[in-house]
Amino acid sequence: MKKAIALLLALCMVFALAACGSSAPASAPAPADTTSTAPAPATTTTSSEPAPAEEAPFVVTACIAEEPETIDPTMISSVDGNTYVNHLFENLLRYAPTSTLAGDDPKMVTAELELGQAKSMDVSEDGLTYTFVLRDDIFWSDGVPVKAQDWVYAWQRVCNPDQAADYGYLLADVGVVGAEDVYYNGADPDTLGIKALDDKTIEISLLAATPFFDQICAFGNLMPLRQDIIEKYGDEWTDPANIVCNGPYVMKEWVHDSYISMVPNETYWDAGSVGPQEIKWFLSADETAILAAYQSGEYDFIESFPSDQIESLVASGDCYILPAVTTYYLYINCDNIPDWRVRAAIALCIDRDNIVENVTQGGQIPAASLVTGGITDSTGAMWQNGTGYKEIMWAGLAELYPDYDLSDYTGRCELAQDLLAAAVEDGFDTSITIPYRFNNLGVHGSIAEAVQQDVSSVLGLNMTMDSTEWQVYTSTLSSDRDWDVARLGWQADYLDASSFLDLFKTGGAYNYSNWSSEAYDALCNQYKAMAGGPERDAVMYEAEALLFGEGGFGVSPLYYYTNFYCLSSRVQNAAASTLGFYLFTRATQG
Amino acid sequence: MAGYILKRILVAFLTLLLIMTITFFLMNAVPGSPFLTEKSTPEMIARANAKYGLDKPLIVQLFNYIKNYLRGDMGTSLKMQEGTAVTKIIFQEGKFALSFKLGVCAVIVAVLIGVPLGCLAAYNRGRWVDSVLRVVTTLGVAVPSFVLCAVLLIFLGVRLQWVPVFSGSLDTWKAYVAPVIGLSFYPMCYVAKLTRTSMLDAIHQDYIRTARAKGLKTRFIIFKHALRNSMIPVITYLGPMTAGIVTGGFVVEQTFQIPGLGKYFISSILNRDYPIIMATTVVLAALVIIMNLVVDIAYKLVDPRISLTKGDR
Repeated sequence: MKKAIALLLALCMVFALAACGSSAPASAPAPADTTSTAPAPATTTTSSEPAPAEEAPFVVTACIAEEPETIDPTMISSVDGNTYVNHLFENLLRYAPTSTLAGDDPKMVTAELELGQAKSMDVSEDGLTYTFVLRDDIFWSDGVPVKAQDWVYAWQRVCNPDQAADYGYLLADVGVVGAEDVYYNGADPDTLGIKALDDKTIEISLLAATPFFDQICAFGNLMPLRQDIIEKYGDEWTDPANIVCNGPYVMKEWVHDSYISMVPNETYWDAGSVGPQEIKWFLSADETAILAAYQSGEYDFIESFPSDQIESLVASGDCYILPAVTTYYLYINCDNIPDWRVRAAIALCIDRDNIVENVTQGGQIPAASLVTGGITDSTGAMWQNGTGYKEIMWAGLAELYPDYDLSDYTGRCELAQDLLAAAVEDGFDTSITIPYRFNNLGVHGSIAEAVQQDVSSVLGLNMTMDSTEWQVYTSTLSSDRDWDVARLGWQADYLDASSFLDLFKTGGAYNYSNWSSEAYDALCNQYKAMAGGPERDAVMYEAEALLFGEGGFGVSPLYYYTNFYCLSSRVQNAAASTLGFYLFTRATQG
Repeated sequence: MAGYILKRILVAFLTLLLIMTITFFLMNAVPGSPFLTEKSTPEMIARANAKYGLDKPLIVQLFNYIKNYLRGDMGTSLKMQEGTAVTKIIFQEGKFALSFKLGVCAVIVAVLIGVPLGCLAAYNRGRWVDSVLRVVTTLGVAVPSFVLCAVLLIFLGVRLQWVPVFSGSLDTWKAYVAPVIGLSFYPMCYVAKLTRTSMLDAIHQDYIRTARAKGLKTRFIIFKHALRNSMIPVITYLGPMTAGIVTGGFVVEQTFQIPGLGKYFISSILNRDYPIIMATTVVLAALVIIMNLVVDIAYKLVDPRISLTKGDR
C-alpha cells in the first residue's frame, strides 16, 4: 500500500510539473504569411523598415470587447468587429484621421471619409450611378493586385440570402438596383447593381439618389474580398495563416478569447502613414479586469469599465466622453395602451435629466428626438435643432396644448396629468398595472426604477418590473406581448435620420410597439425616393413629428448614448469615427 | 477490478447519452437563438437556421448530434467562432488544456496546503493556531470567489504589480500565481476544515487510544495512523472538486482573462451556441464521471476494507 501511495504522489508531482511547466501558448496559430510578391509600394517608408536595435517597437495595446463572433467583413455586425475590419481592410472610401480633435482629449482626433482604394468617384447627375476608378498601386497582402471584381464578389456575397449575414438587407435598404430581389426573393446575385467595367472600374446603380451613399462605400460589411481565398479555406479563411487583407494592417496572430495581434501590411498603398508597429487587441468582457489592466499599464486603450467609475476617471483625466449616434428609448405598446394620451402621459412624466445625471452618469444627453445627436440634416445642422424647436419630441404637443410650458419638466408633468385625466374620463382604468420589461444587464434596472418612480409619483399609475436575460428578452418582445413598456437602444448604421425613422414603419421588424400610421409610412416612402436636400429634410422632420403627435407616442426616447474611453498618454493621434469605432492606424508614440 | 471498471465505463457511456439528450432538449426549450442580434429580423434568423439545419425537427437534430459525436465530430460553432469546429476550439486551440493546467495546479495547491493545515489545526485543537486557522478557513469558504479574485487583481496586479493583470495563456509562472490562488483558496479551506473534522473523529477511535497506550508520540500518531483513516471524506470531496475546479473556473478565468473552458461554457449558454453548449457539457460530464471512478479506486487504495464489487464482500 505504501508503494501505491508513493506511486500516486509521484504521479501527482509529474502531472503538476507537466501542467505548470509548459510555457508555450496553448494555441499558437502560425503567423500570417505576409511574404509579398507585389512590387514594393513606392510610398513604403520608415514604418515598414526595421526599428533601430535599441528602440522598442511601438505597440498599442487595446481592449474594446470580448472575442468577436467573426472578423469576416460580410458577417460582422458589431462595433468591435467593424473596428478590426477597418484596420485589416480598406473600402473604396475610408475613414481617415484628421487634425480636428474629437472632443476634449488632445490625443484623439476625428476620422472622416476620404478616397481609399478608389482614386476617383464620379456621381451621375441624377445621383443614380456611382463610378469608381481604383488606384493603380493597391495590392492584397499576398501581393495579388486588388481588382474591381473583388467588390462585386463581396457585395454579392453580403446580399446573398444563403450567407445569412446580419447586414444582408443593407444594399436593399439603401436602394442598390436588384438588391431587394436578390436578398428577399433569391434572384441571381449577378443581377445586383454593381458591375466591374474592367479590372479597375466599378459602376454601382441605385434606384434612388441615396444622399448618404458615400458612407455605404466605406461600410465594413462591404469591404472587397478575395473569392479564391474564401473558396479555398471556407469558414477558416479568417485564420491568421489564411487571411489576405488590403488594409493598413494584417493579422499576425489570433489567440481566441485572448488577443488579436496585427502588424503593418507591407503591400498597403499608404504604408508610409501607418503608425504602430503592432496593435494588440486584448479580448475581454470583465469590466473590472479591463480597468485594472489599464491602471497597471498593460492596456493603452479601453472603452469598457464599470459605470460607477466614470465620474472619478473623468475627474482624474483618464476618461473622455464622446457623443454616440445611439438612442436609448422605450417602446410603449400600442396594442395594450391604445389611447395615445396615456402613452403621451407616460412619455411626458419621465424625468430624463434625472436619469442621465443620477442614474447613468456617463455624460449622456437627455433625448429631444428619436434621431440621435450626431446626425445632421442636409445643411449640416444638428438634427434636434432642425425644426427650430428645442425638443422635437414635444413640438407636436406644444402646438396642440399651447397653455403648457413643455420646455420645463414641471409643465410636462402638468400636461401628463391632464392627458391622463382626459383618458380616464373616456374610460381608461387607472387601477391596471403597467408591466415594464427590460434585459437584466447594466443600468437598465436602475433606469426602470427611475421611470417607475416617475410614473407612480406623477401619474399615480402602478408600474411593475420584469427583467430577463438578453436572449430571452429580445426573442419574446414580439412573441410575448404581455408588456406595456420595454426598452431598446438603436445605433445608426449610417449618418442619416432615415436609419432611425425607418424603425417605426408599419410592420417593421423593430416596431415592437406596433404603432401604425399611414401618413408616416407614406412619408417614409417619399423620402426614400428623394435626393438629399432641404426638401428631403422637411419630409423626414414631418415624419418624426408624427411619431410624437396626436395618435403617436409608440416610442419614448430617453437619452442619447455616449462613448467613453481611457487612452494612455503614450498613444497620440488615435482617431474616433462618428459611428463609434476607433482607429489606431496613424497613432504615434507620446 | 477490471470487470468493475469496464462496467463503469459502459454505464458512463449511457450516462453521457442521457446527459446529451437532456441538455439538448433543455437548451432548445430556452427562448433565444444563436443568430439573435440587436439588428436581426425573424427572416434573417430563419435563413440562418436553415443554413445550419436548425429548422429540422428536434428529434432529427438530436439524432444527428449523437451520430456525429460517435464519429468524434462535435459540430461547428454557430456564433462565438462561427463555422469553426468545436473540437478545434476546445482541444486544439487549448481551451481545455488551459483550464486543465490551471485546475491541476489549483487542486495540488488545495490538497498540499489544505490537508497539512487541517492536521495542524487538529493537532493544536483549542489552541491559538487552531483558532486562527478556523477563522481563515471559514473566511475562505464564505468569501465569494469574485470578491477574492477582485482583491487579488487589485492588490497583486495593480497596486503591487507583482503579477500580470492579464494572465492570458499562462505563458509565465507569474501568470499562474493570482488565478491559482483564486481558484484554490475555497477548496483549500474546505479541505482543511474537512481534514480537521475527520482527524478529530479519528483521534477518538480505539486504535488511536491503543497507540497512545503503547506510548507513541502524538505527532507520530496523528500523521501515521489518524491521517490515513481521516482521508476518506477528503477523497470523497476531491472527485467533484477536481472536476469542478478544472472546468468550472468561470469567475477566475473571466477576471484574469484566461481563455479557458469555464469562461467559454458560460458564454456559450448566453450566446445560445448550441454545439458548444453540448460539447462543454459532455466534456464536463465526462470529467465528473472519470473523477468519480478515480475516487472510487482511491478509496480502495486508502482503505482495503472497502469493496468495489459484490464479489469482494
